[in-house]
Amino acid sequence: MTHETVFHAILSLAIQGTLITFVYALAALGLAVVFGLIGVINMAHGAMITLGAYFTWACLSAGLPFGLAVLVAVAGVGLVGLIVEHALIRHFYDKPFETLLLTWGLFLILTELIKIAFGSDIRTIPTPLPSAIAFLGFHIPEYEALVALLSAALLGAIGLVFYKTSYGIKIRALTQNREVAGLLGLNVAATYKIVFVAGAMLAGLAGALMSPILSIDPTIGNIYLVRSFFVVIVGGIGQLLGGTLAGSFLIGGSQTIFGAFSSQVIAQTIVFALAIVVLRFRPTGVFKEK
Amino acid sequence: MSEKLNSANGVNRRSVLLGSLGAASALGAPAVIRSAYAAAPIKVGVISPLTGAWTVYGKAHSEGFKLAVDEINAAGGVLGRKFEIIMADSKTEPRIVAEQANRLIREEGVDFLAGTFSSAERNAAGPVVTAGNKVLLYPTFYEGQQQKYFPGVCNPNIFMFGPVPSQQVWPHLPYMMKNHGKKFFMVGSDYVWPRVTNAVTKKRLVELGGEVVDEIYIPFNTPQYDSVLSKIRNSGANVIFLSLTGSDTINFRKQFVSAGMKKDFTLWTVDDEEVVTSALGPEASAGTYVSFDYFMSIKQANNDAFLKKFRAKFGQNALMDTVGVAMYNAGHMAAMAIAKTGKVSTDGLRQGLAGLTFDKAPQGSVTMRAIDNQAILPSYLMRVRDHWTGTGDMFEQVQYFPDVTPATASCAHLPLN
Repeated sequence: MTHETVFHAILSLAIQGTLITFVYALAALGLAVVFGLIGVINMAHGAMITLGAYFTWACLSAGLPFGLAVLVAVAGVGLVGLIVEHALIRHFYDKPFETLLLTWGLFLILTELIKIAFGSDIRTIPTPLPSAIAFLGFHIPEYEALVALLSAALLGAIGLVFYKTSYGIKIRALTQNREVAGLLGLNVAATYKIVFVAGAMLAGLAGALMSPILSIDPTIGNIYLVRSFFVVIVGGIGQLLGGTLAGSFLIGGSQTIFGAFSSQVIAQTIVFALAIVVLRFRPTGVFKEK
Repeated sequence: MSEKLNSANGVNRRSVLLGSLGAASALGAPAVIRSAYAAAPIKVGVISPLTGAWTVYGKAHSEGFKLAVDEINAAGGVLGRKFEIIMADSKTEPRIVAEQANRLIREEGVDFLAGTFSSAERNAAGPVVTAGNKVLLYPTFYEGQQQKYFPGVCNPNIFMFGPVPSQQVWPHLPYMMKNHGKKFFMVGSDYVWPRVTNAVTKKRLVELGGEVVDEIYIPFNTPQYDSVLSKIRNSGANVIFLSLTGSDTINFRKQFVSAGMKKDFTLWTVDDEEVVTSALGPEASAGTYVSFDYFMSIKQANNDAFLKKFRAKFGQNALMDTVGVAMYNAGHMAAMAIAKTGKVSTDGLRQGLAGLTFDKAPQGSVTMRAIDNQAILPSYLMRVRDHWTGTGDMFEQVQYFPDVTPATASCAHLPLN
């Protein structure tokens, strides 16, 4: 290989790695928000992603344009999140183990409801942008690039809300010390509710945006659930921006890089092994201080 | 639904047996019971993937067998006895297959088994049918028989109704190489069927002057294919030879289309039958080559009659495929074998099936080769039409070979029976 082709190969890997990092970040963001800010380990996160994909499919089948379908799906999953939070989750905020079981049950129920409502046949959605941008000899899939851009924008927006608005200050106060924040007049219940619904909406958005490049079946979101958990834990719980990105890079991006040099099976194994090694030496995540 | 009904029947039958012949059944003397109830049904244990990763294939799989049993029973059954199906769900897990096969043989006392879906599932059932000495009728296109996978294959009790690569792939290699190029890129799921299918295909491809530029195996439930697609893009391949399964094949093909690669490569899949192609939709599937022994759209008088009955029973939009048709053939051929030998037993079935021809098979005529229990089947190469609207116009026939003889199984002891 000449230097030029080596350089080209490295750059090509970097592009793919970046794309996949942002796609995984999108899938994990809802989990990161709910887990990191209000301590709920949402096992139903995968089912919410699935639901987002199905809502998008249903809206497209009803004749809505793709963009509108995504918005409806986000609102729909948000509504499901609101109902679930109000009926169940809010009674268990002090009990992380119970919420784990509760959300696992919820995952089972949602999955079965999806089967009842939509059947177990595989559905698909036509890709809105079925071509690639050819650029200096690289081929970048247009739709995936769009999803990655939206994911980056979303991370930016969450960063702004979190660090630059009074709302972000309230949420951060809550994460640091719930009792004191409550004593100082913060409406704890309402804030928790908003955070949980936001997490659900993010899961719905991930499902909706990824639906054109996936097989839509009742368990599709679960493919992302385990990976999302790794992203959140490796990145560091509560480290919304840097943590999610670092975690996504480690789980998705590094897999692309290893995949270039070894078999896919080995690449996927190395990545999860690496994640465990990282946790051994930084148990609270890459970015979190002890 | 039918599962519930059947297990309820099973309970009734068992309680009757326990009441009258409790001691005999406790001693485990099924032969005595059977002769005491001469008109009792012939019980068939059917194991289908009704839940889990391969649920989508489970419907056609079980419905094919149900249709055959309906027809057999409507014609009065065999030897004056009707067929009764005892359904079992494999949950798409080999471990569950072993459990269910054991249950069907030991608790339900079935006369023989039909089904299992993937090669991993069949291989899990192998030791159980050997230990219980029951016949298993296996419907799926698979990698062929090699002694090292015994007792899942090369097993005198297991009969193969689906095509092997020397039937499904070899006949179409010259056409694909001549029209689309000699460089193949192989992508498959990481288990025995894709690996062996690719090895067998590669051997023939090289003999014909072709080349495999790369081979990639993907773990189950992989969501993103960026690095695989990039490897394909830079490989210089002409034909992508695809043996991914389940939702992975759809994830891959959606991302293949989304990466704008459909126009640059010819895709040939040996997995994506009517069910997967329907799910993909016309835009993502158009132009793809698919090869099997059966398609809903083949022009055969048998097929017209078969589809009419199938749709009358399971609805106008129900999907059939190679596996469901193999289950249908398996049901009818088992009945013919029992009628021929006059015996409802493992030996009777084995003798009866060997060399048996079923000329009412939807794909034309099907013969069970005696030497290695492998069906002789037709082979079709189809191309997915642009803008198809349903299974009727989904596939355009490129070429067709009747009665393709498979390569002889690589078993230690032939003939098997």
